[in-house]
Amino acid sequence: MKIERDVLFIIMVSLLLMVIIPWTAGQLSEEIFFEWPFFFEVAIGGLLSGVMYSLVALGFVLIFKASGVFNFAQGAMVLFAALTLVGIHDMGVPMWLAIILALFIMVLLAIAIEKLVLRHLVNQEQIILFMATIGIAYFLDGFGQTIWGSEVKILDLGIPNEPGFYFDGKILINDFDLVAALIASVLVIALALFFQYTRIGRALRAVADDHQAALSVGIPLQHIWTIVWAVAGMVGLVAGIMWGSKLGVQFSLALIALKALPVLILGGFTSVPGAIIGGLLIGAGEKLAEVFLAPMIGGGIEDWFAYMLALAFLAFRPQGLFGEKIIERV
Amino acid sequence: MTERKLGEVILAVNKISLAFGAMKVLNEITFDVRRGEIRSIIGPNGAGKSSMLNVINGFYHPQEGTITFQGEERKEMEVHKAAASGIARTFQNIALFKGMSTLDNIMTGRNQKMKCNIFQQAIYWGKAQKEELANRLKVEDIIDFLEIQNIRKTPVGRLPYGFQKRVELGRALAAEPEILLLDEPMAGMNVEEKEDMSRFILDINDEFGTTIILIEHDMGVVMDLSDRVVVLDYGKQLADGKPEEVRNNQAVIDAYLGVPHE
Repeated sequence: MKIERDVLFIIMVSLLLMVIIPWTAGQLSEEIFFEWPFFFEVAIGGLLSGVMYSLVALGFVLIFKASGVFNFAQGAMVLFAALTLVGIHDMGVPMWLAIILALFIMVLLAIAIEKLVLRHLVNQEQIILFMATIGIAYFLDGFGQTIWGSEVKILDLGIPNEPGFYFDGKILINDFDLVAALIASVLVIALALFFQYTRIGRALRAVADDHQAALSVGIPLQHIWTIVWAVAGMVGLVAGIMWGSKLGVQFSLALIALKALPVLILGGFTSVPGAIIGGLLIGAGEKLAEVFLAPMIGGGIEDWFAYMLALAFLAFRPQGLFGEKIIERV
Repeated sequence: MTERKLGEVILAVNKISLAFGAMKVLNEITFDVRRGEIRSIIGPNGAGKSSMLNVINGFYHPQEGTITFQGEERKEMEVHKAAASGIARTFQNIALFKGMSTLDNIMTGRNQKMKCNIFQQAIYWGKAQKEELANRLKVEDIIDFLEIQNIRKTPVGRLPYGFQKRVELGRALAAEPEILLLDEPMAGMNVEEKEDMSRFILDINDEFGTTIILIEHDMGVVMDLSDRVVVLDYGKQLADGKPEEVRNNQAVIDAYLGVPHE
């Protein structure tokens, strides 16, 4: 993939700012503790949680690419997938089999969504498709909790959830975060290649661009939508597993999707690599801001820092870092 | 134009009527298209020309009449099946995938020709890769043929109008269609671009033997290129025949050309 020069420039500048601002803050303020090993510890922790954001953002990107629709139900899908997995596992099914069954159910869900909802909305305005996804979101939230119950459940994959010390014990990183980041990276790279270099990937981008033209070259719209929702469901399951074992499987998983929004704005709604870079920048950015900037203004900026960043970013690059440039001939 | 040998009837529409609510768009239209022919549909704006193409490739389903394609009679076409059985088209208002490169746009035209399933593609090894490369070669031929080598990687949204029309033609050609439906391929072009496009249409017809159904407003172009012309006006069929017959048809002159020819 060719990276535009200004994209590279923006990323470089961001990285530089991420170093300079904390360092300067450390020099200026008594309250802020700055030391290089500590800085890297915070940055790495941020990057790792950024990968988890990417994972959620990826689900959005897939569906946005294929239908030009912001899938409001992505968070609900994450929750539903995780609930289903834990529910099946609690019935005494071994974890590996439960994961396969949950994947299977997510595929069935995709088929059902296509047959019952999307099929009837071909060639409709995008806002109508968006409304449909809101309906799907609330249905899934309720349906999942009706079947599997709404209490907080524990999801234990057996990945060690203990801090590990690296680089002569100077830097402390959570092992679970490392494993999660590794899994997410593999998934993301595989998907990026799939959509860039295969016929289905191309068909998918074509469908996103123009329904009618796609039909005329014989791309079966329904088929592509089913595939995309199925893949988004699988990505949702992986995200659900990761976040679920971190936070417990509960309703708040559905809200994690909101954290993916600034990632999407930064990375671009149509780009798989964008979801990754965006996730990393947001993840590291918000952690660094929380630790090295927040004390100066009284703390607690982690929750809204990402959104503020995204808002500022919109002003000068509305299509995001890797988004397709918005071209309108007049 | 010299007398050309035309093949058997490949497509026939019989008494096609189409209405949207109370508005009759097509009224008992009947004509046939023979293999290897360049068949034009002309008529003033709103005559139902594009609707006719939409009926042929399955976007619209007529209330009455039949369509016979390659010997098989049916009430209506399905878009997906029409594409699969060899009908490709371009649109009046270019319908390209604007964010994608010229190459990718034309590659989507090969969609019907590629058979690897999702799992083979997911692995992208052996068969899927070979298939991709083989189809890529075909597409490069088309790119050469249409003389658009230098815009291969450009997102088509950035191309000037004339080139977009050409890429759209390329995408339709990539399907190696039996019948090519061209909806105003020269609208909005200057003389030079029109000449290029005319040349491409003739070459496609000549070299690949592709049957072409053409909608065009430029009478000079239509009279030069077409083997036969069907004339529509307000959804009614006014005339059907060789260009010179149509040109001399009084009803056509009154309704459409306006000025009698000397």
